[in-house]
Amino acid sequence: MLEQIARVMFWLCVGEVAARSGLLPLPAPVTGLILLYAELSVRGKLPDDLGVLADRLLQFLGMLFVPAGVGVIAYLDILKTEALPILAAVIGGTAITLAVTMTVASWLGDATAKSPAHESFPHEGALPDADA
Amino acid sequence: MQTLSQILADMAWTGLAEKPVLETGATVFAFLAATRISRLGGNHPLLNPTLLAIVLVSIGLEATHIPYETYLRGADTIHFMLGPAVVLLAVPLFRQRAVIRSSARLITVALAVGLPVGILSAVSLAWALGASPRTILSLAPKSVTAGIAVGISEQIGGLQTLTIVLVIMTGITGAVLGPIVARLVRVGDPRVVGLTMGIASHGIGTARALQINEVAGAFAGLGMGLNGVLTAFLLPIICRLF
Repeated sequence: MLEQIARVMFWLCVGEVAARSGLLPLPAPVTGLILLYAELSVRGKLPDDLGVLADRLLQFLGMLFVPAGVGVIAYLDILKTEALPILAAVIGGTAITLAVTMTVASWLGDATAKSPAHESFPHEGALPDADA
Repeated sequence: MQTLSQILADMAWTGLAEKPVLETGATVFAFLAATRISRLGGNHPLLNPTLLAIVLVSIGLEATHIPYETYLRGADTIHFMLGPAVVLLAVPLFRQRAVIRSSARLITVALAVGLPVGILSAVSLAWALGASPRTILSLAPKSVTAGIAVGISEQIGGLQTLTIVLVIMTGITGAVLGPIVARLVRVGDPRVVGLTMGIASHGIGTARALQINEVAGAFAGLGMGLNGVLTAFLLPIICRLF
């Protein structure tokens, strides 16, 4: 397990070096995600411990946003004075995105795709209730 | 007479004021309580545990007059875990690599449409209704999973904390509207519905898609992951153009 924690921290640190040196315009954890995915693809299999670590930590991913989210009390004024544009963007924007994407994707994306009912893709772990 | 700093030093000595354990503990308990409340309400999307926990902690801070900065210093241990957690999102994505390959065309089309429409619809609506530039920048990554959205927001000059709350609001909106919109536009394919909900409303939408069925859930997780990574790539570049 320690090896897997080290693996995650290693790719995270590489991501941070890339971000701080201005090499990549990406948040360090995203670079880490991509590099870990690349490493797993090269290996071709997922170390058991890493799967356990991911499942455990991602189980309460929602909690990890709480400290930063609480900071919104400092911005309640913004939320109040700009309530209309914010609500329009969040609710209207999301509704538009859903409608347009579903329509176009089912229209253009379907031509060659097979029905998933006949496929047996490995479905060990759908994403956990990742929250946000 | 004791100076303020002496009083604070005394409190630190007695161990309550400056030890991070209090804020960390309060956050864990708030989230635990929020999870229970959410479960009591049948995991309704509006009872999002993260949002409930934020409200609970905020009420606690207001009541005890603890400034946010003090709280954040204490709860930093939890905040820190966000980085490793985002890296670990590679694991569920890797588990779905076969799905990615078998539905490559559908996934490409959905992302090519959903990613830009998600950003542009939010940004243009906010801009047209007179939002400040900082609010618009905080809104831009609203469809992205929070761990990644926070990083993007910081990079393009938005407010991280505002982005988190907007991300959660977007997730809840997508989770509630997703199935309704699917009926309205007459799309029944669970792959399309799931993928779209993941792209438009990240993890909260994914959790809702999982309730539709497993296929919708798997595609939603995929949409969330790919949309997050690609937006992190593209949004800073787009912002530099303007």
